[in-house]
Amino acid sequence: MPVMKFAEWLAVMPDWMSGLPTGLQRTIFQVFQTFVFEDRWYNFFLKGLGMTFQITLGALVLGVIIGVVIAVIRSAHDSQRGKKPGLPLRVANAVCRFYLTVIRGTPVMVQLLIMGFVIMVPKLGSYEATVCAIITFGINSGAYVAEIVRSGIMSIDLGQMEAGRSLGLNYAQTMRYIIVPQAIKNILPALGNELITLVKETSIVMVISVQDLTQAAKVIVSKTYVAIVPYISLACIYLVIVIILEKLLGIFERRLRESDRR
Amino acid sequence: MIDVKNLEKAFGDHIVLKGINEHIAKGEKVVIIGPSGSGKSTFLRCLNLLEQPTGGTITFEGTDITDPKNDINKMRQKMGMVFQQFNLFPHMTVKENIKLAPVKLGLMSDEEAEKKALALLERVGLPDKANAYPKQLSGGQQQRIAIARSLAMNPDVMLFDEPTSALDPEMVGEVLELMRELALEGMTMVVVTHEMGFARSVATRVLFMDGGVIAEQNEPGEFFSNPQHPRLREFLSQVL
Repeated sequence: MPVMKFAEWLAVMPDWMSGLPTGLQRTIFQVFQTFVFEDRWYNFFLKGLGMTFQITLGALVLGVIIGVVIAVIRSAHDSQRGKKPGLPLRVANAVCRFYLTVIRGTPVMVQLLIMGFVIMVPKLGSYEATVCAIITFGINSGAYVAEIVRSGIMSIDLGQMEAGRSLGLNYAQTMRYIIVPQAIKNILPALGNELITLVKETSIVMVISVQDLTQAAKVIVSKTYVAIVPYISLACIYLVIVIILEKLLGIFERRLRESDRR
Repeated sequence: MIDVKNLEKAFGDHIVLKGINEHIAKGEKVVIIGPSGSGKSTFLRCLNLLEQPTGGTITFEGTDITDPKNDINKMRQKMGMVFQQFNLFPHMTVKENIKLAPVKLGLMSDEEAEKKALALLERVGLPDKANAYPKQLSGGQQQRIAIARSLAMNPDVMLFDEPTSALDPEMVGEVLELMRELALEGMTMVVVTHEMGFARSVATRVLFMDGGVIAEQNEPGEFFSNPQHPRLREFLSQVL
């Protein structure tokens, strides 16, 4: 792998820069090394960003599916007022609670290490490693989404469930057509926060050598032996992503609220 | 039509219904009155098992609905219920509210339900509100839609749980008028209410509940002019 020396840079540097102070020249050189040299902005940063998005979205989808299933099981169990729930429901509820306790009680980093080196053991940096990351974050996120969805379901007036049931709809039908569509509106903001958290948390996938954004910056540091530009840039990229997401969620939320006022 | 035997209901240690025996025949309009906390709403909600009784049996059209082997969802299709808080589905239009259950339960095709919904809206006097959302309607209009929604299932009996208690006074009339029309058409009705005028003019029988039992019942003329139970006399003197 070719490494560019500062002396080499001075040779190819545009003429107008030669008048600048040496310190500034050095900084420009580092920026050049970090982003421009060998098309690193594309080969590392953009590809890494793509990987970060891929893992985040995959994990979010998986997390929402897991979360909704668990939330429905948990609220079905809790809503059996005055009546003891059936055995299958009690078992399912116990399994869900165990899952929630374990996943929320251990660091996601540790979960990733266990998934990557004990359970799935993908070849480092391979496509399977990406899948492993998505599954780990999906399972992790599912635990948090479950509680978000559950609080959304519980926020719906009990009368809605009673109205649905009094018409002859069963529990699942009432959930599907009446409760969940209303609950989704309430949980979207919290779900947006979960998305933002996920984007940032995925930065630890480098422990199983997935080439995400953070890993990209780290590789460049190992090539250039200078940390400041890649890492500060890395922070800025995450910050910009999060700010954009927050803006989008804000617009989305406002739209929802407007449709409420119909 | 509905046969209640030794119905008991307790919430934990708190006993609300203390053994109720009652028979409601087809075509009857039974009005239940009583002080708050007397168990009248709980009794009504037990009839379609929104509250699970802790004792006794309820037989509806020959089927014991308290027996877990019988499908309560099937039974509830024949028992309409109207709530104090209307409980319309806020994320659906009025028409969708009415069509939901018949279509999703496979009782009607979409076109049939559409026709039924429009006919019902005509009947409750709100044909122009088909595509409105519940929030755009007044309380009285919402309650009339809620009644239409129940009627869409072609129920054999209608249960009303204080249907006018959450309404502004000037809207009570329109809902009671609709209920009166329903009664005239021969619908079997069980109504929990504080509207004594309605009880007097529409009921075929009035029940007075107090302390978890039916303390007294009679046809309305006798019930209001000649109450026997001291608790009922006191109650009537306060509300009339």
